[in-house]
Amino acid sequence: MLKTLARFAPRSPWIYRLNAGSCNGCDVEMATTALIPRYDVERLGCKYCGSPRHADIVLISGPLTLRVRDKVLRVFDEIPNPKVTVGVGVCPVSGGVFRDSYTVDQPQESYIALDVIVPGCPPRPQAIIEGVAKALEVWKERLEVA
Amino acid sequence: MLPFLKIMVKNLLAGPSTDPFPFAPAHTPKRFRGRACHDKEKCILCGICRHVCAAGAIQLRVTEDGMAVHWVLWHNSCVFCGLCAHHCPTKALTMSDDWHMTHRGEERFDQREVSFVPYGQCSQCGARIHPRPESVVQQLGSRYPERFMMCPVCKRQELARRVTPAKPSITTGESDERDSA
Ligand code: SF4
Ligand code: SF4
Ligand code: SF4
Repeated sequence: MLKTLARFAPRSPWIYRLNAGSCNGCDVEMATTALIPRYDVERLGCKYCGSPRHADIVLISGPLTLRVRDKVLRVFDEIPNPKVTVGVGVCPVSGGVFRDSYTVDQPQESYIALDVIVPGCPPRPQAIIEGVAKALEVWKERLEVA
Repeated sequence: MLPFLKIMVKNLLAGPSTDPFPFAPAHTPKRFRGRACHDKEKCILCGICRHVCAAGAIQLRVTEDGMAVHWVLWHNSCVFCGLCAHHCPTKALTMSDDWHMTHRGEERFDQREVSFVPYGQCSQCGARIHPRPESVVQQLGSRYPERFMMCPVCKRQELARRVTPAKPSITTGESDERDSA
């Protein structure tokens, strides 16, 4: 029964956006990816959702600033396992232009491990779609293991 | 009457406006800035790229024996501003329009552009100098190719040798006059 579910469930993961202190560039591109029919991430069977408790794939943007760190981690913990984290932009990986800033808690990896990374500042919507497609693969692997 | 019908028919005829990616290649503008590419055949190791890099993505590491430099650009730090390509004096750095850089988290440190650039050697004393690639020699050193390959010390000596006569002239009319007076 669970196996059958796992075979069908990967087709429709829900995506949640988490802003860890980003400059908003990546967030605008993510919103574009979802809302504008031109890019339309829902073709991949994904859907943006408003609650972390419904989410399967998390798109994280921003370098994890000190101000939001605890809130972000609290929300992140609410997302049920198995979840797939996608770092959007270079900020979550290296800090990008915010690296070495006194307001940024780097490296973010010491708090949140990234499964898929979409480099760019910001990445273009097609690249985000590519990242979501890769996250789907990871998610299927996770479900098969679980 | 029913103006939306007109719009509907027009849109139906125009077909879907959705970008076909990922099921078909996406359109990329020609001047799109994606992955930076480094051509080690043109690099003179001036370090301008590292100096101007907004995100600190470029490193130049001298090897242990001091004879070469590992030129490294980490794509996961690069913000694609294109400053390095703009300021590179020999155009060794260029921005490509390749944006397919999505990768798994484990591969984050493989996303690098690495070049191994050996230093040059002074044609006179063999001292370590910055590399003089062929393309640069053709542009700047075509008049005196052998002097172009010298270290600053040898170049100065060579210049001094060229502008001063081999032996200072001993007899001048002026001194002759003074002697006779
Ligand atoms: S990667 Fe660039 S666009 Fe995205 S949040 Fe960081 S600075 Fe902003
Ligand atoms: S890539 Fe260009 S700017 Fe950078 S060290 Fe080489 S020549 Fe200088
Ligand atoms: S494009 Fe900008 S951020 Fe990227 S390596 Fe060049 S200077 Fe650095």
